[in-house]
Amino acid sequence: MNLILDLILRLAMWLLLAPLLPGIINKVKAWVAGRRGPPVLQLYYDLAKLWRKGVVMSTLASPGFIIGPAVGWVALLSAALLMPLGPAGSAVSFRGDVLLLIYLLALARFCTAWAAMETGSAFEGMGSAREVSYAVLTEAAIIAAVLSLIVHTSSVTLITMLAPSAGAGAALLAAGLFTVLLAENCRVPFDDPNTHLELTMIHEAMILDHSGPPLAAILHGASIKLLLFAVLLVQAVLPIGEMSPLAAAGVLAGGVLTVTVGVGLVESLLARLAFRRVPLLLTTAFLLCLFALLVAWKGGAK
Amino acid sequence: MTLGLPLFISFLALALSVAVGYRRPRTWLALTVTGTVAGLVAAVYVLLSGDRWEWQSDFLLGGEALRLRLDGLSALFLLLVAVVGGAGAVYSHEYWSDEHNPASAPRGRVWWSSLLLSMGLVLTVANGLHFLIAWELFALCGYFLITLDRRRSGVRAAGWLYLVASHAGTMCLFAFFGLLAAHTGSWELGPLRERGELAPLFWLALIGFGLKAGFFPLHIWLPSAHANAPSHVSAIMSGVAIKMGVYGILRFSGWLPVPAAAGWVVVSLGAVSALLGIAFAFAQNDFKRLLAYCSVENIGIIMIGVGIALLAVSHDDAPWGRLALAGALLHVWNHGAFKSLLFFGAGSVLHATGTRELSRLGGLARNMPWTAGLFALGILAVAGLPPLNGFVSEWLIYLGLFDVATGKGALAWIAMPAAVMLAMAGAIALASFAKAGAMIFLGAPRTQPAARAHECGYWMRGPMLGLAAVCGIIGLAPVLFWPAISEAVACWRPVWGLGEPPAPLAMLGSAQVTLAIIILAAAVWLWRKSRDNGLRRGLTWDCAYAVPTARMQYTSASFAGIVAGWFRWLMLPERTVHRPHGYFPASAIRLERVPETVLERVLAPVGNLVMHASHTALRLQHGRLQFYILYVVAGLIGIGLLVLWGGAQ
Repeated sequence: MNLILDLILRLAMWLLLAPLLPGIINKVKAWVAGRRGPPVLQLYYDLAKLWRKGVVMSTLASPGFIIGPAVGWVALLSAALLMPLGPAGSAVSFRGDVLLLIYLLALARFCTAWAAMETGSAFEGMGSAREVSYAVLTEAAIIAAVLSLIVHTSSVTLITMLAPSAGAGAALLAAGLFTVLLAENCRVPFDDPNTHLELTMIHEAMILDHSGPPLAAILHGASIKLLLFAVLLVQAVLPIGEMSPLAAAGVLAGGVLTVTVGVGLVESLLARLAFRRVPLLLTTAFLLCLFALLVAWKGGAK
Repeated sequence: MTLGLPLFISFLALALSVAVGYRRPRTWLALTVTGTVAGLVAAVYVLLSGDRWEWQSDFLLGGEALRLRLDGLSALFLLLVAVVGGAGAVYSHEYWSDEHNPASAPRGRVWWSSLLLSMGLVLTVANGLHFLIAWELFALCGYFLITLDRRRSGVRAAGWLYLVASHAGTMCLFAFFGLLAAHTGSWELGPLRERGELAPLFWLALIGFGLKAGFFPLHIWLPSAHANAPSHVSAIMSGVAIKMGVYGILRFSGWLPVPAAAGWVVVSLGAVSALLGIAFAFAQNDFKRLLAYCSVENIGIIMIGVGIALLAVSHDDAPWGRLALAGALLHVWNHGAFKSLLFFGAGSVLHATGTRELSRLGGLARNMPWTAGLFALGILAVAGLPPLNGFVSEWLIYLGLFDVATGKGALAWIAMPAAVMLAMAGAIALASFAKAGAMIFLGAPRTQPAARAHECGYWMRGPMLGLAAVCGIIGLAPVLFWPAISEAVACWRPVWGLGEPPAPLAMLGSAQVTLAIIILAAAVWLWRKSRDNGLRRGLTWDCAYAVPTARMQYTSASFAGIVAGWFRWLMLPERTVHRPHGYFPASAIRLERVPETVLERVLAPVGNLVMHASHTALRLQHGRLQFYILYVVAGLIGIGLLVLWGGAQ
């Protein structure tokens, strides 16, 4: 009974809180630009509206066009359920769950790319190609970050890996993971979620043809992914597992908020990179995580 | 002995099918399937009961008594031979039928059964001499199967390359078995772990079997052979035959001592193969070649696991070795299943459209829903995505690597780069197969043949369904397969013994089952929701362009462009560009081809150099007798001087 309650609360938290983050980012951007900006809850309104709307499907698309977003959404939500939440621990935890999490993110990426290719549009092909290609470097960065946590804590389970602080390499790891967060969630400087020019899009180009409930699933999934990366970043860097439950919850919430505001500030202050520069920045993220790994290697007294 | 019976039935059925294959396709099919089922029964029995089967003949073959043995390790590979062999036989009944290929289909059946029989022999003989004979038979059957369609010059060239590479490997194996026999005084094969002086022989075995397994840079023959062979042959070559190389490496690294550096070298080779193999795969525009290069990647993944196991042996039998080896062995099965599935799917596409070029396909999902769905499942499996089987074996190998890293010894310096390279290979694999699947099945048909494609028949669909089910079951219930894998592990290194399934594996299994159920539920839900909300069909959005054409779709080469650019230093793509000129350009061409780097940029120049040297030497042989006498006199004087010199010292 407790287990079911725990699961329901956890689901509610991921499902309901996730769409808040893009709203906060947009508010920060508006504030920096001196505008009033859309309401913080705008994404909720959008999702509710999209969920009621009809679907226009490309004449070329097969059912994969709708199944793809569904699978992607499930994959992201399952990945979120694997992620421990500070004092609440994780719903499911076993040795090597971190790999399942990484590969669930990969599954989501595959499904989005597949659904995009269903339409046979050149722009969506371009978007998918960029998404899956840049993911090669982010995957390397993530696995280096995970390795640094593994070496630091001598554990392969998310909940023990994320409990202590990342030690001496925390700053490096934070910088690396933050860059990965920006890249994986299609934020500036890698991608501009507000762009109107198809040629310069990554993620937005992939969902040009989606509408109605499938689009809602994609947008909601994207917000879960953003929250997931923010939670991962905060827990990886701060010693949340070593605090009292109340403090841990507060620090986690505060940390996620800080990361979100940080994303908004980056988005306001930086311009999008030229595409040929993107691999360089991603390589930098990989190197940051790699240095964090080396620091963990040298400093590990545990 | 009870085990002898199914094996005998299997042998008899396959031998009979070789005899009748030429004239009677249906009898051949029945016999081959009987043979493979009997072989499957024997393999499963060995794997589950832990019994070993041994048999020695009373007669001599080549001066040696024929000794056969089936233990856990060989049974694991025999099972793969049986499953893919049977499935491929059924598939070829429609795919390469007498009707469409009256000349080569009868030959193909005979060689198919012979190939199965010779692979069975390779797996069971326990005598060096007979092993070499079986190995050679196996290589030759492979050659004749690859060149079934020998009217095409590409096929003949691929077959020739295969034959040469195969024999280069066999030469190393001759040296290996010869030296082994010279040291031990007998051709008998068996555990000799305490004979430390035999360790250097491992390098010979690694090259000899490695050429068959096809890891980088010994993969030169693999892409063209697997691409040009008929698809059911590609399936067994890629899914099973190259695993014989893995079997050889495992067999003799288990029986013989290995040098200290072996693990390091094998892990490095594996990691490099995984990353470069898949990078080359991504750049291919021929989908069978793409699948072939992906085999190089998967052999690399298997070799990473094997290498970690070798390292564990020399480090007090650390527990991570067992995990990694179990992962590698499970990946042998997994790769066999999904790669055969993918090659069957590729065959179905080739059958329907007649082209292997990704840029001439597209939109096949509409006319070939079964092939598209099953191919998509194979794609998810090969990209190592949950909840399918590819993920389970990669997960085990990753765990092995991570455990090495937490040990913080010197070994972590190989495990950590290997983990990063494996992750990158996984991401590129996802990209490659997103590309392949999308270019073949999604969007609009790019050519007329693609638009007219038709779904394959039941004989081709059945085996694909079977293999897809295997991929699903291993993914959802990995614990069921643990006893078999653990039996093979125990056979490789008895000290590691039989273990209970690790608890995380059971957890992973239930997580995958849950995931699969939720995925199905969510897909159905979203589909129904979309339908209920009202589903309209409209034109694809192409920047508001009203008449998008199939030619405007993204192409395979552009899709791979970004990553191919990163590996330009290695792939050295060849480009032909004619830019458009003037206000009304008449023509513009841009062609790009990724060469077989190792073959064309390394081996070919070396070969040319050797040929050049030989031609120079040929000038000495001109047919003028007086010069020949001069050579003889000079030679005699030379020998005389040598003798004088030698005597003086």
